[in-house]
Amino acid sequence: EETGDEDGYEFGKGDFTEHACRYCGVSNPACVVRCNVPSCRKWFCNSRGNTSGSHIVNHLVRAKHKEVCLHKDSPLGETILECYNCGCRNVFLLGFISAKTESVVVLLCREPCLNVNALKDMNWDLSQWCPLIDDRCFLQWLVKIPSEQEQLRARQISAQQINKVEELWKTNPDASLEDLEKPGVDDEPQPVALKYEDAYQYQNVFAPLIKLEADYDKMMKESQSKDNVTIRWDIGLNKKRIAYFVFPKEDNELRLVPGDELRLRYSGDAAHPAWQSVGHVIKLTAQEEVALELRASQGVPVDVNHGFSVDFVWKSTSFDRMQGAMKTFAVDETSVSGYIYHHLLGHEVENQTVRNTLPRRFGAPGLPELNASQVLAVKSVLQKPISLIQGPPGTGKTVTSAAIVYHMAKQGQGQVLVCAPSNVAVDQLAEKISATGLKVVRLCAKSREAVSSPVEHLTLHYQVRHLDTSEKSELHKLQQLKDEQGELSSSDEKKYKALKRATEREISQSADVICCTCVGAGDPRLANFRFRQVLIDESTQATEPECLIPLVLGAKQVVFVGDHCQLGPVIMCKKAARAGLAQSLFERLVLLGVKPIRLQVQYRMHPSLSEFPSNSFYEGTLQNGVTVNERQSSGIDFPWPVPNRPMFFYVQMGQEEISASGTSYLNRTEAANVEKIVTTFLRSGVVPSQIGVITPYEGQRAYIVNYMSRNGALRQQLYKEIEVASVDSFQGREKDYIILSCVRSNEHQGIGFLNDPRRLNVALTRARYGIVILGNPKVLSKQPLWNSLLTHYKEHECLVEGPLNNLKQSMVQFQKPKKIYN
Amino acid sequence: DDEVHVRQKVAEVDPQEAANFEQELRAVMQESIEQRRQELRGRPMLNMVIPMNLFEGSARDHHGRGVGGDSGDEALDEEAGGSKEVQVKVLVKRGNKQQTKQMYIPRDSSLVQSTKQKEAAEFEE
Ligand SMILES: [Zn+2]
Ligand SMILES: [Zn+2]
Ligand SMILES: [Zn+2]
Repeated sequence: EETGDEDGYEFGKGDFTEHACRYCGVSNPACVVRCNVPSCRKWFCNSRGNTSGSHIVNHLVRAKHKEVCLHKDSPLGETILECYNCGCRNVFLLGFISAKTESVVVLLCREPCLNVNALKDMNWDLSQWCPLIDDRCFLQWLVKIPSEQEQLRARQISAQQINKVEELWKTNPDASLEDLEKPGVDDEPQPVALKYEDAYQYQNVFAPLIKLEADYDKMMKESQSKDNVTIRWDIGLNKKRIAYFVFPKEDNELRLVPGDELRLRYSGDAAHPAWQSVGHVIKLTAQEEVALELRASQGVPVDVNHGFSVDFVWKSTSFDRMQGAMKTFAVDETSVSGYIYHHLLGHEVENQTVRNTLPRRFGAPGLPELNASQVLAVKSVLQKPISLIQGPPGTGKTVTSAAIVYHMAKQGQGQVLVCAPSNVAVDQLAEKISATGLKVVRLCAKSREAVSSPVEHLTLHYQVRHLDTSEKSELHKLQQLKDEQGELSSSDEKKYKALKRATEREISQSADVICCTCVGAGDPRLANFRFRQVLIDESTQATEPECLIPLVLGAKQVVFVGDHCQLGPVIMCKKAARAGLAQSLFERLVLLGVKPIRLQVQYRMHPSLSEFPSNSFYEGTLQNGVTVNERQSSGIDFPWPVPNRPMFFYVQMGQEEISASGTSYLNRTEAANVEKIVTTFLRSGVVPSQIGVITPYEGQRAYIVNYMSRNGALRQQLYKEIEVASVDSFQGREKDYIILSCVRSNEHQGIGFLNDPRRLNVALTRARYGIVILGNPKVLSKQPLWNSLLTHYKEHECLVEGPLNNLKQSMVQFQKPKKIYN
Repeated sequence: DDEVHVRQKVAEVDPQEAANFEQELRAVMQESIEQRRQELRGRPMLNMVIPMNLFEGSARDHHGRGVGGDSGDEALDEEAGGSKEVQVKVLVKRGNKQQTKQMYIPRDSSLVQSTKQKEAAEFEE
């Protein structure tokens, strides 16, 4: 008689034995393998069930995991499958091969070991290499397929359920399939609204969305641990230890930025105790090398270089500040003026004008003369409590903002707060404002103090260190001591902190303008400051709660600068994005009827290049502040099909492919032609820094970088200096020549990312002198906007095909654009 | 009605899903290869030790495992369709040590086929 209890068969409790397939529950040791990714370690069986691949293959592909281990009771015993020659554990590369005689077989990887010449010399029949994964299953003689009986007793999981549970595991690795059925997991959060009853309702909607985004961010970052990291040690100017190492990015989801906090660990050896320290990223090189400034200088194992581990230290600061701002907005009546409060919530409020004497001229010292639309913007902004300025590409947003801030500061309403979501934008604006002669303090996050900045002399930490008065000599002495010794005695430390705080306060208070990121406005060092006038640049790239942080410090007059026809804030959590977190406050205010003042003269693009964006995105209102002559690249001999029209659409018919991450695409033909175009530019006298290659897909970005450096016809270094980036990361920037690789080319699927008109707008408006677009017109023409772009190029005889040195007009037929229904 | 039950279960793999999955799988494979090519600059050396004593008496291991158990005559088995599997030794590394494990693999596996053909060819020579 069976005493089934110990066998792990405890039906009804929902608990499977440890090695049961996490999809279906089959637990026969001969039929299961364990995913060997440390954060996963789940077991899966080799049965297909109702899906096209076996459960283990399904998991590996969906989770992008690539290593497995056999069960201890399987015929091979507990074995990590790896190449017998090189130890490669990527199961997608492994296969069996007979070692001379059929009775002995080994696992060998197909790249590179199967190509090692010595093997051929040994007379092995390499053509009979037999892949480990065949027909979407593991080799059945290695990992058995569960019997029909076993499969019938198992859970009948569908492909959809597999997708869902894999998605769930990304945030909760211990989740079970039952969790899919639990209420909540699939519930969509409450979506954002146009209007809100009160700030509590506002908070009730946004707080859960911020929480979702924060959880996702945390999960993403904390799963980024890396082992076996090799360190190069250095010492910074401030005498702190700096660790250099390579932290490769796996896919496009996580990018390290200066200021990020990482933990470096060493597990210890005979000569070194275990050690760890936290540090801040102060620099990222083009070769993806990270410079980490360590917090502690004591006990660092600087004579060791190998075997370190790196973890991401997630900080909730920015999310906490958004939540805090929403709370302040709700509970503190003085956080913003009544007008702004009601206006932001979408309540009907009677128009108000700000009573201020207007300046006689609207430009500002140290800035270029303003054009008519810029003057109009400055003038109208100064009279309104809430205004929106829309700055299409190259229209002088920063100069206009600086002029506005200059006049605000001169009105004597107290200090002006200037913010933007990104540090780069804040730095640019701080520099321009400082050029008008105003006293500017750039407040940086503590974690970014060691990050070099173009406006270092404006930063608070720099000014504190260089405030060279005799009363402050005490602070300087202590600072010096701290730099040299790494730390101070506790009484000195106390004294140092108090002196530093007082000095910071003194410097900040004497400034006309404080510049910081939106999140930086929540810095405790500004806790007791009040700002009646606030300008937020790039506000279309911030989420609402992010914009709220600078506002709740007493705003009475607010200026939002941005362009809702370009890309919005990046939201990682799809659920939060679907619920509307990606809609900026600027956009909602537009929907509420606030009319943006548009800057109308662009100074960036050759007039031929601005024509289509102007007509398609800005109702044809964009005027050219540059002439054809000013954008003529003399001495550059590039085969533009129409002279004086430095643009063409280069017809490509190569197929798209899905990239390694499974979430991105690449297109080899386009990449090869990008290289040819780049080479032609370089040969004609264009230098690498003038060229930008843009592509909407990380997969293609990585592929192009690689392809150019391996196959480029000229010196490798030249190609390395060329910036290849996503559309999104080119926002706000420009290059003389832009090459845009569209990638998508398929019969039935959509064009994904390219569908977003805002992304197309950004892509088309980065170039000053010339643009080349590579894409498949047959596919792209289905989308109405792309159809009109293609028609525009065709009408101007700029739709071409054939070799670069002999471009011919293309007769390719467009498809009828599909109507978009919403 | 067990049969019907099974048939219901076996059916219904959504062709679209199957096609998507196949594409994703190919992508992972392709990129794995790509990634390796990038990682490994220059060709690696052959770095494996195959203990030669393994090959001794390999002929003896070369018997089929048919329905009837240990019939030694392959030709007979094949004609009778009885022997579906052959025994092989899988050579694995445990740290620095080599180890072999016995496995049965299908007679129609390309792994077996090739060597059989070769052996046959050699035999004819
Ligand atoms: Zn299973
Ligand atoms: Zn896994
Ligand atoms: Zn190998």
